[in-house]
Amino acid sequence: MTEELEHRFIADLEQHQNIVHKVCKLYTNNKDAHNDLFQEITIQLWKAYPKFRGEAKFSTWMYRVALNTAITLYRKSKRTIKTQDFDSVLFKIESSEYDDTEEQQLQLLYKAIHHLSDIEKALVFLYLEDKNYREISETMGISEVNARVKMNRVKNKLKKIVNP
Amino acid sequence: MDQLELLKKNWKKLDHTLPKLSQEEISNLIHKKSSSIVKWIFIISLLEFIIPFFLLLFVDFDEYSETKALGLYNFSIAFYTVTYIVIIYFIYRFYKNYKSISADTNPKVLMQNIIKTRRSVKHYIWFNLAMIPIISLVTLYKKFRTPDFLEKLPEGTSMLLVWFLTFVLVAVIITLTWLFYRLLYGILLHKLKKNYNELVYSNGDDCG
Repeated sequence: MTEELEHRFIADLEQHQNIVHKVCKLYTNNKDAHNDLFQEITIQLWKAYPKFRGEAKFSTWMYRVALNTAITLYRKSKRTIKTQDFDSVLFKIESSEYDDTEEQQLQLLYKAIHHLSDIEKALVFLYLEDKNYREISETMGISEVNARVKMNRVKNKLKKIVNP
Repeated sequence: MDQLELLKKNWKKLDHTLPKLSQEEISNLIHKKSSSIVKWIFIISLLEFIIPFFLLLFVDFDEYSETKALGLYNFSIAFYTVTYIVIIYFIYRFYKNYKSISADTNPKVLMQNIIKTRRSVKHYIWFNLAMIPIISLVTLYKKFRTPDFLEKLPEGTSMLLVWFLTFVLVAVIITLTWLFYRLLYGILLHKLKKNYNELVYSNGDDCG
């Protein structure tokens, strides 16, 4: 039974691992930290998996556990020293496909996001995942009005950081 | 274009640049140890429960014959009965709160549950801190009046001074315990409380 559960979980996570990687991308800025957070989210997902009844979509359920881990449960490990900038590694691969100015702007935006608070990063993540305000408010446990107010603040904050 | 719109446009294209873990790699990960804050809160809270509990046990054992001699036997029985009932109640509450901490609730509920768990530990600490002066002052009051103690006291020592030093000592012990607890509480919950306040309250915080 446990083995079957484990197989099912691993298959589900393998299929949806991009969600976890994307959360890690917003919350960390180097490869070691990314891997560390990915590991903790995986452990938390596995711990919570027996309670996952399939009422929500697996991906929706993952949003909650992954964001909870990034915001609250994860304690940064001391061994995650700032090494290379992960963003630049990712975007070097992409830069050949897009024009330089857009790529530069994107790099700047990711850097700006790393200056946001944990809560703000969560809102940005859900927004980028194309969630509407009702879904954002449900996932975060806040009112829709509060979600809107906070999202507007994030937009203003990003604007200020990118064009000071 | 809005900054976030630009990001969103790019967000889906990110997929093929992200790392891809194999099933085997994921399987290895789930057997690794968690370093989550909840695990630390649980371990530290457990120590906070156990240490005062053992301290009380030792006090009880040491002073058993003495309490009889001081005429505090009934007081001691009543005191420790009440104390243990309260401790058991706190352990039950702590366990229930701890069980309610789950990563698959929403962030607001998760943070509330962690704060609730720590709050019950905090109340338990307050309870222990309140018990220190009660038990020590009552016992010492009786002890200071025994012929045995008065004989050992250097001649001319004022009882006022003895009591003054006793109060200072009790106050120092309480303050140190309280400070230690505040430090621990601060280290564990500082980030969480900040995030909780930011999530729940939409007014009044600076957005710059």
